[in-house]
Amino acid sequence: MTKPLRTRAWDAITSLKLTIACLSFLMVLVVLCTLAQVELGTFGAVNKYIKSFLVWWDVPGTLWMIPVLPGGALVGLVLAVNLVAAQGRRLELSWKKSGLWIIHAGLILLIAGEFVSSVFQVESQMAIEEGQTLNYIEGRDLELAVMDVTDPAFDEVYSIPDSRLARGGTIAVPGTPVSFQVKAYYRNAELAPRGPQDPPSPADRGVGASVAVRPMPPVSRDDQVNQTAAFVEAVAGGRSYGTWLASNVLGAPQSFVHEGRTYVLALRPRRQYLPYAVTLKKFSHDVYAGTDIPKNFSSLVHLSNPSRGERRDVLIYMNQPLRYDGKAFYQASFGKNDTLSILQVVENPGWLLPYISCVLVTLGLLVHFTITMRRSARRRQGAQEA
Amino acid sequence: MNVAKTASWIAGGLALAGTLAALAPPGKVRGFDVDGFARLPVLEGGRVKPIDSVARNTLLMIRSQQSFRHEGRTIGAEEWLLDVLFRPEVANAQPVFVINDPEVLGLIGLRQTSDRYFSFRTLAPHLGEIERQSQAAHPIDAKERTRFQSAIVNLFERVYLYYRLENTLQLAGSPGLAAELRDPRAEGAQERHRALSELSYFRPLPPPAGQAGDAWRSVGEALRAGTAGNVDPALDPLARLSRAYASRDPAGFNAAVADLGAVYASRRPEAVKQADHETVFNRAQPFYAGMVIYVLALLALFASWLWKPQILQPAAFGLLVAGALVHTGGLVSRVILQGRPPVTNLYSSAVFVGWVAVILGVVLERLYRRGFGTAVAAASGFASLIVAHHLTGDGDTMEMMRAVLDSNFWLATHVVTITIGYSGTFLAGAIAIGYTFRRQFAPRLDPATSKALVSMAYGVICFALLFSFVGTVLGGIWADQSWGRFWGWDPKENGALLIVLWNAIILHARWGGYAREKGIMAMAIFGNVITSLSWFGVNMLGVGLHSYGFMDKAFWALFGFIASQLLLMALCLLPRQFWRPASSRAGEEATGTV
Repeated sequence: MTKPLRTRAWDAITSLKLTIACLSFLMVLVVLCTLAQVELGTFGAVNKYIKSFLVWWDVPGTLWMIPVLPGGALVGLVLAVNLVAAQGRRLELSWKKSGLWIIHAGLILLIAGEFVSSVFQVESQMAIEEGQTLNYIEGRDLELAVMDVTDPAFDEVYSIPDSRLARGGTIAVPGTPVSFQVKAYYRNAELAPRGPQDPPSPADRGVGASVAVRPMPPVSRDDQVNQTAAFVEAVAGGRSYGTWLASNVLGAPQSFVHEGRTYVLALRPRRQYLPYAVTLKKFSHDVYAGTDIPKNFSSLVHLSNPSRGERRDVLIYMNQPLRYDGKAFYQASFGKNDTLSILQVVENPGWLLPYISCVLVTLGLLVHFTITMRRSARRRQGAQEA
Repeated sequence: MNVAKTASWIAGGLALAGTLAALAPPGKVRGFDVDGFARLPVLEGGRVKPIDSVARNTLLMIRSQQSFRHEGRTIGAEEWLLDVLFRPEVANAQPVFVINDPEVLGLIGLRQTSDRYFSFRTLAPHLGEIERQSQAAHPIDAKERTRFQSAIVNLFERVYLYYRLENTLQLAGSPGLAAELRDPRAEGAQERHRALSELSYFRPLPPPAGQAGDAWRSVGEALRAGTAGNVDPALDPLARLSRAYASRDPAGFNAAVADLGAVYASRRPEAVKQADHETVFNRAQPFYAGMVIYVLALLALFASWLWKPQILQPAAFGLLVAGALVHTGGLVSRVILQGRPPVTNLYSSAVFVGWVAVILGVVLERLYRRGFGTAVAAASGFASLIVAHHLTGDGDTMEMMRAVLDSNFWLATHVVTITIGYSGTFLAGAIAIGYTFRRQFAPRLDPATSKALVSMAYGVICFALLFSFVGTVLGGIWADQSWGRFWGWDPKENGALLIVLWNAIILHARWGGYAREKGIMAMAIFGNVITSLSWFGVNMLGVGLHSYGFMDKAFWALFGFIASQLLLMALCLLPRQFWRPASSRAGEEATGTV
């Protein structure tokens, strides 16, 4: 007699074979992800193998993509379901099994934590020079910032994400009469002064007219940055204000005036403004005497939050981040002859989960192995007495 | 006391006595108190160490050995360094540069012969070319260099190191330190002093008692800062020492060493003590001694399977315990000398992995008493110390910790637990290899021993899973503290995760009954592959935040190791004594002797 389909599915979901299959797939994915980091960089490899539901293979020479493996997210999900289901079905609630219960609860929490991080974790940077005060952090992605600088007391900043630029078409900037028509977008490009044999630039205004833009493949290494370039035509009130070149490697501000209001254009790392300000008072970089082995990096910053009436100095150094207002500021890098400090800023609502899970699993493993060891010791003793 | 106990005490005692004999102070070399000189502390690589360590590490970097034979006698590292410092014309004729690359040899007009060692004098006419080629290769990323490029950069670095050593206490070819002191305003003195302070490889002059512990000065700095009435008190004895050594005057040399020692003792007594300890540690070579004792233990055990097991097996265990004691002594000395937890770099992780495996093996032997604990412990201890020995070529194994690693708390928790996890996985693999050999080659099998081996391996895998999991998660927490990412899928993290996953798979396969005796053992051997990849393999990828452990030389060694483990897995899974005709095996299996 064959079992009904529901029973068979339930058997499959709760089976130990599925657990082993998931763990094996996870091993394969982890190996592939590690090897791929040489080519794709950490972010690329993790996105391809771990933070995906399916791993796609581009068939060479065609536009086809074939899923070849389940991705880390799918495996993680199946493993979590398997864990919960098997736990409910097979393991009786007894002291003998208490260790396994704790271990598996901890593991579920660990997988959940990884999901929470991959969805909600935001990593940004704050590159701050000595004496400088900043009230924003910058992300990895870019934005086309349109700033209305007419009022000398404050700027109004409108932001268009570069993923929107990549899609092309016409983009209206809400709250302003301005809209942009994307003429071209290059995720990575080489910018050079335009020579006599270069084709004419699509840009007819600003610095872009004298720059030649050559498309390049996007960079993969984590320490490299894409030089993104976009040609956009600014339109306001039915009138064209010319085509501009925007790029994160262009330094000079470019602006146009429409009905008495001045708009500045800049393609820059996406900014998130903070309700508080950070001033870098001093960056220190010590080395061991007679060597160039770094001994310590530290940033002495002043934190000022008028809305909470908070003003205090904080020393951020290796293994000692500043956790404030849901964000954590870490000493990440430095530059400009030790006057520039780069802080990594991470916001992860699930940061506490792995800590709890670690304690649970460790405790569970200890309990379980103690129970099994005592049992086997008793058995051995019994065998000797017999 | 019965025979077995006596045998184990005698064997262990002899091994320990042999090790202690190495601690006896060496005699004078041709009347010179080389030992007294070698014990003097200096600052190099950011920490205070005896000249003895500087000599050993630099000779190791240049020649890959700590002593060599030249003109019919053995020259120790300290004596070699004395020649480099004070008699460059003698040192320049000694063949200390090892060159293996045929293209590099071709470049300097030499043929590959059995002799791979060359003197500075032989290289001297080609220095310009070596420097030019090295400069050309230098901008290329270390991973992308060709073999020739790596070799020439490496040769240039060694030549430059040698050159700096020669010009540390006085400029080679100049009248010497005494002349500099006599007439600080002589012609060209300023340039010479500046060159001295730029080139000096180590800083020999201790700061006065009140100053910071790392404010040691080079001779050049002291000469430049010195005014008429304010000469560094160590310079005068140093100058006498130099002159006495160059003019072969042992009495003068020994007196100068004593005076110099007095200056150090009055200024930095704690540095003198530290340097003394380190010199003793260097001389005892506990890890080398341990390696030898482990081999003896293994040999005794192998012999015991053929002859007088009731004496030789306890003797092997006694040797193992002696080896473990020496190993522990070395490990503890390193911890005290460095003021750090035991694992700080790849070298010390190898030493520690072996140590944990040996201790676990001793425990297993006490529990099961079949000689297998001794066998796997001695084999693992020996293998890991061999690996450690081959990791010393980069020089100082107690180098200072980079800023991000500078946390004793995390070194003591994450690094130590994860390394214990490596140890456990390797030990389980070693037990499984023992099981495999026994299954294939032992003339007769009793099921009880097989069962004992499987239960040993199971227990060790549980242990390994616990420690590798805790270590991995602690690593995540450290990463969260220092980079803001609990888990970044960094290669080293992934390697640790693989060990955890693999151990979890083994245990689940056993609980589910999918793998039985042979299967579990074959899986345990594969654990060796995973662990070796995680430990060394990911360092070869050269990506990620953990690149401090980068190394490229060991690729083929790792490859060979993995191939051997795969072969052993196959051997484990094949039927018992598969080379014998099936008919003769069948009877045995039927009678249940497998």
